[in-house]
Amino acid sequence: MASLVPCPHCGQRPKEEFTVKGAALARPTADASPETWFDYVYLRDNPRGLYDEYWHHTSGCRRWLVVTRDTATHEIEGVRDASAKKEAAE
Amino acid sequence: MTDFIIEHRAALGEKKSSSFMGVKLEVLPEGHVLHALAGSADGDLSGAIRTALGLEALAVRFVTPGQWFIVGDNALSHAELTGLADRLKPMVDIVDQSHGRIRIGLSGEKATAVLAKGTAADLALAAFPVGHATMTLIGHIGAHITRTGENAFELMVLRGFAESLWDELADMCAEFR
Ligand SMILES: [Zn+2]
Repeated sequence: MASLVPCPHCGQRPKEEFTVKGAALARPTADASPETWFDYVYLRDNPRGLYDEYWHHTSGCRRWLVVTRDTATHEIEGVRDASAKKEAAE
Repeated sequence: MTDFIIEHRAALGEKKSSSFMGVKLEVLPEGHVLHALAGSADGDLSGAIRTALGLEALAVRFVTPGQWFIVGDNALSHAELTGLADRLKPMVDIVDQSHGRIRIGLSGEKATAVLAKGTAADLALAAFPVGHATMTLIGHIGAHITRTGENAFELMVLRGFAESLWDELADMCAEFR
């Protein structure tokens, strides 16, 4: 697990200050099929390589972040505030 | 109706400010701590808050995007508090945290060395200049750190953790006894 996370608001901080929520996925529309929602809620890929995850800087700025982490090397490719997620992901 | 008179006790009432070789641990007055919250996380309103209230730079401290602490040594009456709140509307709303957060002073040429034992925040003067403030962990205790001078910090901690943090800081200072 990456041990130093570069928070865009606080700088480099140890992982102990964060809470990991899990995969940052695009939320289906409210009227999407039950299969799509089941997939979104329960099914996860286990990719080797870059992976977007929600991390909460619980003991710091208390902002939700999207951390792009390499599951093989644990290197962090980028961290952004979750509120900036949409613009950054495009 | 009241059977018991509430006795107001200082959170660090049992503690005495202590000087070590090159570092000083200080009980700071339980004055006021106001949490200022803006409706949006965008933009730095700290300057505008200082101007609206006529405060010095260190009285308004960054917490997280859209939030600041307004800090002072004097206790505020209810009337003073509502007066302040009115002057800050509609820019920010304030929540009185004066009884909820306790300030501790840490100063001296060894202050940075002491604090670095407890937090992973980068305390180098270039990364953490005077006036900079941040929320972090000191050991297992969440604390807000403000640099008030090259060799001076103010720590702010939830009231119930004040005594524990004080004792930990005293232990961290022990090598300079
Ligand atoms: Zn942060």
